[in-house]
Amino acid sequence: MTKHDSNTIANIHKELHSHLPPEPALRVKALESLLVEKGIVDSEAVDAWIEVYTEEIGPKRGAEIVARAWIDPSFKARLFDNGTEAVKDFGIEQEHLQVVENTADVHNMVVCTLCSCYPTSMLGIPPTWYKMAAYRSRAVRDPRGVLEEFGVEVADDVEVRVWDSTAELRYLVVPQRPAGTEDWDEQKLARLVTRNSMIGTERDLAARIEEVA
Amino acid sequence: MDTIHDLGGRQGFGAIDVDEPEEAFHEPWEARMFGIRRAMSRPADWSLDWFRHCRELIEPTDYLSRPYFDQWLQAYAAMIANSGVATIEELASGKAKTPVSGLPPPMTAADVGGARRGNPSFAREIDEAPVFNVGDSVRVKIHGAPGHTRLPAYARGRRGIVEAHHGAHVFPDANAHGEERAAPLYTVGFDMAELWPEAQGRRERVFLNMWESYLERG
Repeated sequence: MTKHDSNTIANIHKELHSHLPPEPALRVKALESLLVEKGIVDSEAVDAWIEVYTEEIGPKRGAEIVARAWIDPSFKARLFDNGTEAVKDFGIEQEHLQVVENTADVHNMVVCTLCSCYPTSMLGIPPTWYKMAAYRSRAVRDPRGVLEEFGVEVADDVEVRVWDSTAELRYLVVPQRPAGTEDWDEQKLARLVTRNSMIGTERDLAARIEEVA
Repeated sequence: MDTIHDLGGRQGFGAIDVDEPEEAFHEPWEARMFGIRRAMSRPADWSLDWFRHCRELIEPTDYLSRPYFDQWLQAYAAMIANSGVATIEELASGKAKTPVSGLPPPMTAADVGGARRGNPSFAREIDEAPVFNVGDSVRVKIHGAPGHTRLPAYARGRRGIVEAHHGAHVFPDANAHGEERAAPLYTVGFDMAELWPEAQGRRERVFLNMWESYLERG
């Protein structure tokens, strides 16, 4: 039985701090060896999980969803009405999905100030900056300053909406489709969509047209 | 709990590493730690909320300075020691002194395909009707909970508008401490100027997901 007590855990953290090996790589190695010896981790399953999140589950999946929303109005309507149901078209399970749309008047940006909540099944492993103090502290106070640091300027008359993921709802930003891509097919459009544009730390994808075309 | 993890609006953390390479893992040990967490057989009374609470209880200097997946290691090591899965001595040496009992055998590589699902649902049916309606003006309570909570400090005492009601979701403040119950969950929108004095006149809003007990009419 686990005792779910805050102070007990705080004291264990102190003890661990002075007893575990000094380098993170050594700490993780010791943990894996121990759990394998205890019979509660199989290293081949660890390998398999790493492969899934290195090769298969990443921002490409989110980009495919965005590209479909750009070209297929009925899919887009379903995506905004019930994102969790709509992304099943792609074989993706994402409970409590909330899709938010950038327009000429609105820019959306996603953060988790309390930990690192992220739509992993659609965007893969979050970038480290998303999980560390600088982004988490500033996103809800100075979003335009944060965007500037990412090289993004948002005009004063555009509303910036910051979504702080404090529950199990997961947010996906649909960026604006840039002009000049009217005759592009879905696959080509998907290549235009970046990870940061789906977090909301990138806005104008027009600059990528030349690179992708 | 007012621990160091509650970072919204704090100042002095400097620049964001915007040039970070876009790859899932930057170091082999980060990938191993990610995989260990996914593959491990664990006590049935652990939850995502308990994990979050154990991470936010990491010593403040470690919380702010250690790499992200090292924080996972630190949180898991604490959970493992606390639940009697292994001792701190075993965690330090990497060698098992005693067998562990009562846990199912671990996931195999073949199981990973079937387990590659998304997040589970946290929605629950409850009998009580929600107290607030979309469009209501609300004020966030001033005090947080002494244990785990998902009520960030920067929103406390501030006024916002209920933008959406999501039905009832598992209440983290109770679930983290081993009691699963559900309560109505809302999205509440706040004008940036309501949150921060320097934000007057900015066209900016912050949206938070809030359980009913975090809110009062206001």
